[in-house]
This record gives sequence, C-alpha cells and structure tokens, in this order.
Amino acid sequence: MESSKNYFDNWLKSQELAFGTLTEMTQKFQQALQGFGGSSGAMQGFGGFQELYTSWTTSVLNAMQNSGNADIPFVKELLGKTLTGSNAYLKLYEIWTLFSKTIQDSVASPDFYKTMSDPAKYKEILDRIFGFDPTATFRITEQALKLFETLAGSSQGFTKTWMDASDKTLKSFPHMMGGHPEEFMKIFHTLFSAFDSTAGRAFHVPAVGKDREKIELVLRSLDDLSVYLARKTEYEHMMYVTGIGAFEKVIATVADKVSKGEEVKRFDEFFDVWIDVNENTYYTLFQTEDFSKKQGALLDAAVNVRQHFFKLMELYLFDFPIVVRSEMDDLYKTVYDLKRKVRNLEKQIEEVRA
Amino acid sequence: MRATVDKFDMQNFIQELGEVNRKLIKGTETLTGIDEIDVGTAPKELVYEEDKLKLYHYKQEGSVTCRTPVLIVYALVNRQYMLDIQPDRSIVRNLLQRGMDLYIIDWGYPTKADMYLTLDDYISGYLDNCVDVIRKRATQEKINLMGICQGGTFCGIYSSLYPEKVANLVTLVAPFDFSTNDGLLFSWSRHMNVDALVDTYRVIPGDFLNSGFLMLMPYTLNIRKYVDMLNVVEDKEKLLNFLRMEKWIFDSPGQAGECFRQFLKDCYQDNKLAKGELKIGDRVVDLKNITMPLLNIYASADHLVPPAASKPLNDLVGSEDKTLYEFKGGHIGVFVGSKSQKELAPTISKWLHDRTQDQTTKKIVETNAIPAKAKSKGVRKAAGKNNR
Repeated sequence: MESSKNYFDNWLKSQELAFGTLTEMTQKFQQALQGFGGSSGAMQGFGGFQELYTSWTTSVLNAMQNSGNADIPFVKELLGKTLTGSNAYLKLYEIWTLFSKTIQDSVASPDFYKTMSDPAKYKEILDRIFGFDPTATFRITEQALKLFETLAGSSQGFTKTWMDASDKTLKSFPHMMGGHPEEFMKIFHTLFSAFDSTAGRAFHVPAVGKDREKIELVLRSLDDLSVYLARKTEYEHMMYVTGIGAFEKVIATVADKVSKGEEVKRFDEFFDVWIDVNENTYYTLFQTEDFSKKQGALLDAAVNVRQHFFKLMELYLFDFPIVVRSEMDDLYKTVYDLKRKVRNLEKQIEEVRA
Repeated sequence: MRATVDKFDMQNFIQELGEVNRKLIKGTETLTGIDEIDVGTAPKELVYEEDKLKLYHYKQEGSVTCRTPVLIVYALVNRQYMLDIQPDRSIVRNLLQRGMDLYIIDWGYPTKADMYLTLDDYISGYLDNCVDVIRKRATQEKINLMGICQGGTFCGIYSSLYPEKVANLVTLVAPFDFSTNDGLLFSWSRHMNVDALVDTYRVIPGDFLNSGFLMLMPYTLNIRKYVDMLNVVEDKEKLLNFLRMEKWIFDSPGQAGECFRQFLKDCYQDNKLAKGELKIGDRVVDLKNITMPLLNIYASADHLVPPAASKPLNDLVGSEDKTLYEFKGGHIGVFVGSKSQKELAPTISKWLHDRTQDQTTKKIVETNAIPAKAKSKGVRKAAGKNNR
C-alpha cells in the first residue's frame, strides 16, 4: 500500500513538474510570439540612452501610469506607448547627435557618416519597431529542452548536443547584436544541425511505454520549433537587411542635403527623412511575393508550434478534474447546432403565422 | 565634397530636448486629467438583440424626411462607433440631421462560444433577422442598406440573396473583387495558412489583426503617431480627438473562426464572390441578383481596401441605376474627415432621398449634390485635397 502511495506521489510530482515546465515554456513562447508582427511586444521599454534624461522621463511617466486617472486601462496603455515611443525617439536622437557633430566639422560623404552610426544601437530600434525579441528564441529552446529532459530523461544524450549548440549560439550573440544580420543564419544552422542529429533523429523513431503519446507530441513540438526558428531567422534576417539598407539611404539623403548646402539643423528634419525613407523602403519590401511567402511561412510555423503545445497541455490536464479545451469545443458545437435549429424553427413558425 | 554648417548650434539640441521634455510633462498632465473618452454619443435605443449582436435605432430629434429606414452595417473588424466618433465628426448625426431614419448593428465581441459562426450565420442569420425587425417596425417591405468596409461586402451578399427586402444599397469602401495586388492585406493573405490559424485560435484575436494593420506602415503607426501626439497634448480637445481615434483603432473584437476562415479563403484567396462561386449556406451568391439602385463609394487613397477591390462591383451587379462615387481620401477619412462630413453625408442623404418614394416635402440643403438617378457608370470625382 505504501509503495503504491509512493508510486502515485511520485507520479503526481513528475506530472506537476512536467506541467510546470510546460506552463513556463508556454508563457515564454507566448512572450516570444507576442512580438511577431508587431503590436504587443513592439513598444516595450528601451533604456540605456541619454540615461539621466530617459530615466527621468521614464519615472515621471511610470509614476503617472501607476496613479490617479491612469487607472483607466486605456490611459494606462497610452501612457505606456507614449513612454516607449518617446524612448524610440530619443534613441534615434542619439544617432542624430553623432551625425550633427559630423555635419558640424566634417566631410559630407555617405561613407563617412556610415562609420559614425552604431549598428547595435540601430538594431535595438528595429527590434522595438517590429517587436523582435532576440533572446526569446533561446528561452524557448532552453524550455523545450527542459521539458524533453523531464519527460524522456537526459540519459538518451539528446540534450547535451542541443545545450552545446545553444552555448555556441549565445557566444555569437554579441556579434549579432553588433549589427551583423548574417549571424542569424549561422545561429540557425548551428541549432538546426544539433536538432537534426538528436531530437530530430528521435522524432522518426516510434516511442514506446506509458507516456508514448506525450513523448511523441513533445518530439513533434521540438520539430515544429526547429521549423519555427528557421522561419523566424529568415524573416528577421530579411527585416534587418532592409532596415540597414534603409538607414544607409537615410544617411545618403542627409549627406546629399548637406552637400547641396541645405541645413539639417533640427532633429525633426532628420526624423522626417528617417521615417519617410524607412516607410518607403519597407513598403517596397512588403509588396514583394517573397515577403508575403516568408511572412506566411513564419505565421504557419508559429501556429503549428502553438497548436501542438495546446494538445500537449490537454494531455496533461486530462488527469485533473477540470474541463479541457476540446471538451469545451464539443459543448460549443452542440450549443451552436441547437441555436441554429431553434432559429430555423422560429422562422418556419413565423412563415406559417404570416 | 566638404560642407561646413556654419550656423550649427549645439544649443539646438538642448532646446529640442527641453521642448520634448516639456511636452511630455504637459501631455501626461492632460492625459491623467481625462476621465472618460466618450465615443458613439448620438442618442439611440436598443430594439433587438440576439446572442452578442445588438440592433440600435437612433433617436430622430427632427422630422424624418426619408421614410425608408437605413440599416448601417459595419465590419466585424473594429467597432461601429467610428461612424459617430465625436459629435462634430459623426456621419450618423449628419445623416440624422438630414432626415434619415437610422438603425445600426453592433456585432459585439465574439468569444470562443462563437467560434462556429459562419458567414451564413452572420448574413442569413443575424443580418436577415435585423432587416426583418426593421421591416416590421417600419411596416415596410423593403429597407435601405448601408454597408461599410466588410459590412459593405456583407450587404452586397445579402442584397443578392434577399433582393426583395432591399430598397437601395449603399456601399462604402467595401471590397468585392479580391484579385487585386494593390493592397498589402490582399497580397499577404494569399500566403496565409488560414486553416492552421483558425484551428489553433478558434477565435482570431483582435490583437493579431491589429499587428497586421500596424505592419502596413510600421514607422508611422508605431513611432511617428506618438511623437506627433506630443504636438497636441496641451490642447485637451485635440488630445481627446486623438484619443478617441486611438481607442477605436485598438478596440478590435476577435473574429469568429469559421466566418474568418470562409471570408479569407473564399474571398481573399479564391475571389469567389466576384467569380460568382461563393456559397452562403446552400445558396450560391450571384451579384447580378442585385437589381436595386446602388451607390458604391470608394476612397481614392484607400490602403486597406484599394479602389481596385471596390470599383468592380458596379460591373458585377444587375442594377440599372448605379452610381460609382470617388471620395478623395483614405479609408478612415471616409468616416471622420471634415471633408467626409461636408461631402459624403449630404451625397448619401440626397441619393437616398431621391430614390425614396414616400418622402415628405421638407427641403434638404445639399452640397456637392450628384445627379438624381444617375444611370451611368461614370465616376463623380469629389473636390478637395486628399483627406488622409
């Protein structure tokens, strides 16, 4: 009896652990996906620039956000956008400051201005605008590995290769942050090779035992994750390359103005050029079929991962005394069908009465 | 080439930073002093509700001069109060002042309980029920339909399925031919795996759609808009105008999965509506069945529903009396721009009055009037500069 109690205790603990890991993973994945395509993750805080000034305005706005009439959710949200929007503005201002100094006492050559810009800082602006979170990918991978370990045990030796690959990836991260978009492709190849030789291989081997269904689903999720990472890398690479190209055009435009003797004294003027050039450059990209395909492929990969996570969560939740999603779907369908029937019958009665 | 900027003054930076700083403080002061962002304030009465849908009847403070009621049908995306965003920018109030009898549908916010709702449910179910309610209240066989954006597409489909219930059809910035590549949403949606998206979410989150809209102009909509806002923060009324629009933009209901699936796949991806292949329930939609008078309004600078998606309707319908009207502006400008108030509301009002048999003799003051019963496919171009 004692041994069976222990068994169930241990079983429950292992389920809790796996479920906890899954929940954490889902949360992180959620955070990562929020950034895709724009709004939610797009305008999170910047920081690190014009430190004193930024931190002051930040604290003022934060204080406003957390008090008084800012209790109205909409006002709070808007203050958040104002705060991060102004930070983006200030971030660009720092780059502008460098240009202005160059304009003041230097040569109006695009190549010269190019050396003045800081790609790492500029990449942060692009990340904010498009909602990219460069660390999200690694957080997801790490969580996926933890889940896999929990379920399948580390004895199979799959995770070490992944961990090594992640380690390599993290080492190349600073270089990537330094404005070298090609590093994204290298990172992906490292991770994908690791996947292919470990979990990817296991994916094609039928799992056995009590948790067979769960293990298969985890492996499928890992497979989906590798596809998602590939698509995300491809997409972000395209966006960064376009952004850097656009910034070069901004530099050339400003340099051209200066060489013609036109003054670009105020930041607002620089800001206008920056917005217009970027908007036009990205619009050109967005019109291409290649962009549509990459965006569609990324979305498809993202929802695939999400879908398998949901299924996995259901498998775990099934042991608990709560209603799961597919059961609610059945209920919704029944209610929907009944409503339709009632509506049709009511119409028929109306027609007979008429 | 060397270019020295003699007049460069480092003090500019300090001034600019100081200015931004001052605006931020004033802005937060003004923002936190705003208690409520009021929208959709024209008085109205709830006359029918079904599931999450609500049908409202606007109170007419003057006299009704156009006796056939008008049902306004907005898109499922975003909220119908855009048409009454604020008293001085309200196409609803404008039409009421011109003697129209107005009803409007509020589709509500679908939850997962609504995931199975189809286009058929929306059009032959909810919309048809609303039309019947109005017909009964007004004791009239037919009513006028005025559909906006996707709501215009719905009205077009409805009018082809139930022409016996529609007296006149007005469509504003509504897509009918989805084969165009002019709009980014049209080309992007072709490579979207709609099935996977719907099967995963069941109800497509409003935030997801908003992300797509923001991506159409990422720099303008994510940064410039908020930087520009700083220029109006000291003026509470201007700030409120901004806030009302901002509230509307992000007030995006989710989309019932099955309806979204069919609309995206059949319309955006396969262009079945224009091809005459779209099925609603067990009925094929033939736009040639639209034989009632049609006023089709499109916006020349519409980046969401480009003219190429709206204009073909006039060639697809069977109506003899059809008018194609070009509004010089963008998608949103159609509803809220000052030009819209001066130009579109009078145009719609006159067009409907001219086609309504039992109107009273009250004189309607019109501006920018269009010829009554214009039977040509010619485009009447509106004057004025681009609204957006």
